Amino acid sequence: MWKWIQRQASPKVFFETCSRLTPWFFWPFISLLLIGLYWSLVISPADYQQGDGYRIIFIHVPSAILSMMIYAIMAIAGGIGLIWQIKMAEVVAKVSAPIGAGFTIIALATGAIWGKPMWGAWWVWDARLTSELILLFLYLAYMSLNSAFDNPRTAAKSSSILAIVGLINLPIIHYSVKWWNTLHQGYSVGTGGLKDPDMQIALGIMFLASIFLYVLLVSIKARTEVLIREQNSRWVKEEVVGVEL
Amino acid sequence: MTMVEYFSFLPYGKYAFYVWLAYGVSAITVIALFINAKRNHTRTVLSLKNKFSINQ
Repeated sequence: MWKWIQRQASPKVFFETCSRLTPWFFWPFISLLLIGLYWSLVISPADYQQGDGYRIIFIHVPSAILSMMIYAIMAIAGGIGLIWQIKMAEVVAKVSAPIGAGFTIIALATGAIWGKPMWGAWWVWDARLTSELILLFLYLAYMSLNSAFDNPRTAAKSSSILAIVGLINLPIIHYSVKWWNTLHQGYSVGTGGLKDPDMQIALGIMFLASIFLYVLLVSIKARTEVLIREQNSRWVKEEVVGVEL
Repeated sequence: MTMVEYFSFLPYGKYAFYVWLAYGVSAITVIALFINAKRNHTRTVLSLKNKFSINQ
């Protein structure tokens, strides 16, 4: 296993691994999504307080968790790239940013849409909401800093430092509902927020589907990035010329 | 007639507008991410193909 991971530092090996992973994550993602949607929208009962309005939670919570998880992966991969000079870690960090930003947008948008009927406002400057919005700005800052350099190595170095500094925001988001008296409700997972087993299963399946979606998107985007970075090597030429479009 | 009343014929009644809007926005974001990734990849492969065929 350790040897396998070490071999992924080679662009060619990493490219082939990503090519092989794509179908293995695409079909499970589609199946999990369909089962998860059915469980969320049909099987799960209505909430005793929020009626059917609570069903937004099945996309809100997984995408919020993913938005933080992807940021952590991005910062760790960036750190690995900085410390051990592994180019493929830089690739993972770079392609993770737009995906993480997408999940953050979903979390913020679904939260706002849920907030309107439940709180009576689309947006409040609550600690949870504000720190999640800062996470979105961190992703955007990372992406613009990364694209501001011509040399991908220099870009990776400076944007990785930004990502690592931004890590401080993750515990703030997580503990914001404890540290401050927020309008945002407490934890939905693990501490008895969601009690109905069907609701928990639905949330779990949607969470798994989100993870598969993330890996799927990384496996596609990383291949593009590796091709661009390694365009002067012979294997890329052979790879590209051999592809029929 | 408000949007909430207009969409209340859908499942989930008075919450239908909000629930389906949330699921719709998420679906559009995910589909956009996926199509963007696929399209970027195809474009990159095409432009590299062109580059290599010019150099030959």
